[in-house]
Amino acid sequence: MSTIREKAAAAVRCRRTVLDSGLTVLCRTMPGYSTVHAMYGTAFGSTTREFLLDGKRITLPAGTAHFLEHKMFESEEGDAFALYAKTGASANAFTSWDRTCYIFSATSRIDENLDILLNMVGKPWFTRETIAKEQGIIGQEIKMYDDSPDWRLMTGLFRCLYPTDPIRDDIAGTVESIAQLTPEMLYACTDAFYRPENMVLAVAGNIELEQAVEACRRAGLDKPAAPHTVELPEAAPEGPITRRELQFAMPVTRPCFALGYREQPIARGDIKREILCDMLPDLVCGGLTDLYRKLYDQALVNPEFSGDYVLTRSACSIAFTGESSCPREVAQMVRDEIARLRRDGVDPELFTLVKNQMYGELLAVLEGVEDAAGQLALAFLKGTTLEDQIAMLASLTPADANEALQTMMLPENEAYVEITPQQ
Amino acid sequence: MQRKQLAPGVFLTELDAEKFNRCRIAIHLRYPARRESATDAAVLSMVLERGYAGCPDMTKLSRRLAALYGADLGVDLSSAGGDRVLSADICGIKQQFALAGEDLVADYADIVFGVLFDPYLVDGSFDPEAVRIEKESLRRRLQSEYNDKRLYCVRQARRRFYGDNPAGIELYGYLNEIDAVTPRTLRTEYDRILSQASIEVMVQGADAEPVARRLLDRLDAIRRTPAQITRLTPVPAAPVRHYTEEIPGLTQGKLCMLFTRDGAEDLPSIHVLRMAMGIFGGTATSRLFRNVREKQSLCYYCGSSALRAAGVMMVDSGVESANIDKAEAAILKELSDLCARPVDGEEMEQCRRTLLAGIDAVGDSLSGLASWYYGQIMRGEPLVDPEQGKAQMLAVTPQQVQEILQSYSYSVCYALTGRGEEADA
Repeated sequence: MSTIREKAAAAVRCRRTVLDSGLTVLCRTMPGYSTVHAMYGTAFGSTTREFLLDGKRITLPAGTAHFLEHKMFESEEGDAFALYAKTGASANAFTSWDRTCYIFSATSRIDENLDILLNMVGKPWFTRETIAKEQGIIGQEIKMYDDSPDWRLMTGLFRCLYPTDPIRDDIAGTVESIAQLTPEMLYACTDAFYRPENMVLAVAGNIELEQAVEACRRAGLDKPAAPHTVELPEAAPEGPITRRELQFAMPVTRPCFALGYREQPIARGDIKREILCDMLPDLVCGGLTDLYRKLYDQALVNPEFSGDYVLTRSACSIAFTGESSCPREVAQMVRDEIARLRRDGVDPELFTLVKNQMYGELLAVLEGVEDAAGQLALAFLKGTTLEDQIAMLASLTPADANEALQTMMLPENEAYVEITPQQ
Repeated sequence: MQRKQLAPGVFLTELDAEKFNRCRIAIHLRYPARRESATDAAVLSMVLERGYAGCPDMTKLSRRLAALYGADLGVDLSSAGGDRVLSADICGIKQQFALAGEDLVADYADIVFGVLFDPYLVDGSFDPEAVRIEKESLRRRLQSEYNDKRLYCVRQARRRFYGDNPAGIELYGYLNEIDAVTPRTLRTEYDRILSQASIEVMVQGADAEPVARRLLDRLDAIRRTPAQITRLTPVPAAPVRHYTEEIPGLTQGKLCMLFTRDGAEDLPSIHVLRMAMGIFGGTATSRLFRNVREKQSLCYYCGSSALRAAGVMMVDSGVESANIDKAEAAILKELSDLCARPVDGEEMEQCRRTLLAGIDAVGDSLSGLASWYYGQIMRGEPLVDPEQGKAQMLAVTPQQVQEILQSYSYSVCYALTGRGEEADA
């Protein structure tokens, strides 16, 4: 294992440091590249809805993390997009269930761009007026996702699988929930989660670690931040799945479906379990399997049919989603295949091919500046590293998959969602 | 970059890929689009991707790619003005990373040449079973367009806008013509493509010589008369037509506005066009983003784009159904302001900086560099490297931006709402 890890580390070539403030800085220097991609991320996403800040309980409405992401681009001096426009960088941000990340890509004036990034996130500025303005734009974003069958399937599935976990609420919240937001709530979030020790700056491309660290110094991120105590409540054990099936109508041409499984939450840094979550759907019905071929050739699914997993601090689920004229038949075929694999074990040859493919994908990530910085940051926020992920993948055997199948994707942890065409 | 002609209408371009761990071979067959065989062409690309004579089985081909350390194979059909481009490309780790010393590049070339030049045939036609399956897959794909309302709105607008203009031939064919596709009609279309296509092979990070030899071997037995680039005539300008379609259950309205460049004599410079789109609605500092989205909070997205060869400019937006008229007026006002006076220096430079950074970055991915050169080839331009491209971008003036935006006239507005009936207004 250590030799594999050394080889993986040589491939990843990530330099890292932790500043006195607690901020972790990761850098993959890529000789010959022109672009620098930077990702500044915090482990604060839509599922953090309650916490104690300096002993005071803060409860957040759904959609807070995403709303905060939008507002971070505004400061008293103006809009960060306008500042980036002066340097030629392209900038963006995204929020998921368990993280919020701010990014830029640029080929010049890297110091200035790092200053913009670190200052816009480091110096939050919220007023009732600017919050009200953003509610209109985000309201439109929420409505856009409301028209997406894929998104509605996933949110419907989480509603079934999780009676209480915040994953059941949409990342962007609702028009009503974001209407409850106040500047005080947003400041509480930045005080609690936008502290250096909760964040990571990952850069890749035409940049050295020292340049990134120097930018952090200019932004005052080399010194310990104002002390706050933050406590996240222990996730209460999730109750039984009360709704096994959900059906609703949308303007679609044929039914869309999701077959999902609620799994045990994965401990932070448990890479093996997470890689297995990633791998199992491919072993059940990925493009290399006989089942996929059968479903496709019988016109039961589209090429987009696939399985995937979602992981947060308190939830883990695997879902198979697609579009089909016979959605229940497809769902049953997937269930049958899971049961067969549980009984007979996975095909070792298929296992090796899937593993090769994942290995190739991990190495491909290292070739693009965006992917490299993004994956370095993501791995850090999950409490792991890319080299550990590669090493763990290399060490997995069919026996690991077979063992996981005994406790995962069990019928008792299942729910099914179907969107029917609106009349 | 080295480009050489191997035969009439056959070129090979070799690009530097030293800094990458992977290599790539892409083959592009560019041929004139034809309305009557558009559906055949769509099914053909899907059948070709399933396998080839040396590996006819789709699953076995997927497994072979996985065994080649997860190599990626893609077979795509795309539009290029009045032409279509049937492309096959394969990307995988370089030879020196092969763990068992296997000849990876030879395997990559086998596959990518196989899918385009050595298809699996049964009695001289395409495999009837593969054709049956892919016809059904295409049917589902075309029907699925309705599920993505943004895409559906744009396509509905395009259909009204183009009418019978050759630029409007549907890339993925026509639902009501799928039944007429047979293994024999696919073979006819395939033979037409091989005969008429100009062929461009792009090699990155692999020895180009064996690739060139292989290509010439494959073409040796084919009688070819490569076609010139098809020139399109823009849709004639006419009074604006408004269409509204009600979709029960739609939460957010969609708006697509199309403009034609009828009457313009020459195709515009791609750099001027990119600057114009960047300033109007293509970036986060554009007029549409700053004024329609940020200041007026009218929509979550509102962007502009243009197709140079077809002479069309498009604005699409997601807006509250009740605000569609307001959004349309706001978008037209932004265009009108840009047409009325040249943009100031700072706005021009902001947009230029973003676009220059994009050019700087093309060399940071295999596909980026290949697209840079293939884009110029498709436009029939003399090839320039990214540095020369930056010089051309630096030469664009505010007056040129103003002139090109003035050259568009508003033609079609298509809106999806939760109210009303589809009708000419």
